[in-house]
Amino acid sequence: MAGASTKGVLSHLSLLEVQARSRKTPPQQPSRVKELKAKAEALMTQRDQLKAEIETHKSLQKLRASMDKQCTHEEEEEEEMAIDSENSQLLRLMARHTQLKDLLHAHDIIGGYNVIKTRKGKGLCVSLTTAYNGVYLENYNLEMDLKPTLRISRDNIPPFIPLKSLAEQSNMQTDIRTLLDPLSQHLNAFAARKQQLKLVKELHKSVQVMESNALCSLLVLMFTVPREKTAVLCSLEYTDHTRCLPTRVHFECEDKGLPDSPEWKKNSSLLMETPVHKALITMKKMGDIV
Amino acid sequence: MGADFDKPQGFCVKSGRVQRARGSKLFWLSAAEGRQKSFRMMEKMSEENSEDVRVLEAQIEHLQAEVAALQRQQQDNHKDITFHLRGHMQDAMSYVCGQKQAGEKEKVLSKLTEELEEDLKLQTQMNGISLNSCTTKTLQSSGRQLVQQFCVSGHCSELVFQVEFLLSEVKKGQRSERTIRDLNVVMDTSDLQNFSSFLSGVEESTDLLLFFRTLRTFSDRCDDRRRTFQHFQEKYPSVVSLPGGCRSAVMTLNHPELSGCVLFVHWSVEVSREGRVTPKIELLTKIPEKALQLFPSQAVSGAAEAFQSLLRILGPEAAVESVIMAVSLSQDT
Repeated sequence: MAGASTKGVLSHLSLLEVQARSRKTPPQQPSRVKELKAKAEALMTQRDQLKAEIETHKSLQKLRASMDKQCTHEEEEEEEMAIDSENSQLLRLMARHTQLKDLLHAHDIIGGYNVIKTRKGKGLCVSLTTAYNGVYLENYNLEMDLKPTLRISRDNIPPFIPLKSLAEQSNMQTDIRTLLDPLSQHLNAFAARKQQLKLVKELHKSVQVMESNALCSLLVLMFTVPREKTAVLCSLEYTDHTRCLPTRVHFECEDKGLPDSPEWKKNSSLLMETPVHKALITMKKMGDIV
Repeated sequence: MGADFDKPQGFCVKSGRVQRARGSKLFWLSAAEGRQKSFRMMEKMSEENSEDVRVLEAQIEHLQAEVAALQRQQQDNHKDITFHLRGHMQDAMSYVCGQKQAGEKEKVLSKLTEELEEDLKLQTQMNGISLNSCTTKTLQSSGRQLVQQFCVSGHCSELVFQVEFLLSEVKKGQRSERTIRDLNVVMDTSDLQNFSSFLSGVEESTDLLLFFRTLRTFSDRCDDRRRTFQHFQEKYPSVVSLPGGCRSAVMTLNHPELSGCVLFVHWSVEVSREGRVTPKIELLTKIPEKALQLFPSQAVSGAAEAFQSLLRILGPEAAVESVIMAVSLSQDT
């Protein structure tokens, strides 16, 4: 009889014991450990993945550097870099892929024609880049049909560029560059003259632009001579459309003797040999114009 | 009952000494002992658990720091555009790092790489310029501006070059402005005297595109000269010789029986500072005084000017050929 009640007492005691302990420290469930272990493992996987990617990146860089060396020193027998990896074939492929992408990008930057074959080989798309003094300007495009003969189907070349006559004079059926090179020359010269005019307007507010045309082959400027404040009308004719320097410089002034003065004869040569926006800087420095 | 609820220590299990009593008391004592043992075990487990937890938490903190450092390093790597991999290249990277399944990765990348090889061949043919290496270094990569240093080397026909420059791209609205700075051109100009003035001008104006347009045109005109010289040397081997080789500017014409009389065709390709390429062909004569005295005809002394007229009328190849025919004293016209 006493046993039954003592048993009850003992179980009550154990319950109280547990309660007392649980009040002292937070419940340390085994599942918390599991949770943390899982988190740690996930972080370890992430760390190992990142390490592997960074190592592969390093290998790729080294491999690519060795491939670049091989390509620039074609005579020397550069040893092929040994790769310590079971994925050596794939790594080589990846390095070559980056090399090709860079070479193609370089072709674009140096002003290449970016030729794309279209319509399953029936067409061609050509891009003509213009730039002046390191500043990239407009891009122009040609779409061409390859069959039955090579001919231009569409373009966005400005009408004052003689595309048709350049095509007729060229040997484009055998060598497309006999069309593209002169065309690029015309377009770049035009872009250069246009850019020079833009710079004259921006940098030389004291010089008035009296006349210009779409092709930028004619430019009439008005200078003011300091002290006397006389006006000098300067005509620049660019009759050679493949050049961005004038073929003729002419001054007109109320003072009839001015154009023949030694300073202005010098300015005439200067304008023939130097791009106009730069020539004006010199003329200002010399005190010939305001 | 007399049992003290708050102090079970009376059972003295800690010291392991148990007073084994007889009878039912024994049962109760061992049951209590058992319970104490569970208490202790749970206490130990709790202690172990909290020890484990502390260890794990420290480990996790350490790993998080490691991962953060590696992620920063990876971000730096991504700034290097050459190796910032996307698409199939990224898949290939994942495969190499053991993350993804093998599958067709290598085949796809191989096919893509082959397409790029074909494209490069096409661009090389169309642009008339052969590039063999292009390395880039990203100097600045902020949100709106990208500055890269390029080193490009290659050749245009026989002319070898290496160019270095900075390319900066600034986003302005929809478009981006590209500018070249600090252009440096290296070429073997030992036999390109007329090219060096152009080269220094183009470096000053950083006109990269003008350099390549002019290089190509210059190379084309030099190739014209080489083809023409080689053609005539093959056709008239006894009269024509190329003392400086087929890439030189000089072709000599000389009849084997008239050793003292030599005609020189001097074909130079000049490049102005502006980048204009102009072939200039001249005929020079080396005829001994005695011969000139014997034959004071205009035809001999005025040969140089006469040749210029021929050039204007017939063009370079035909003009040169008629001079060769004259020198070879050939009966054909």
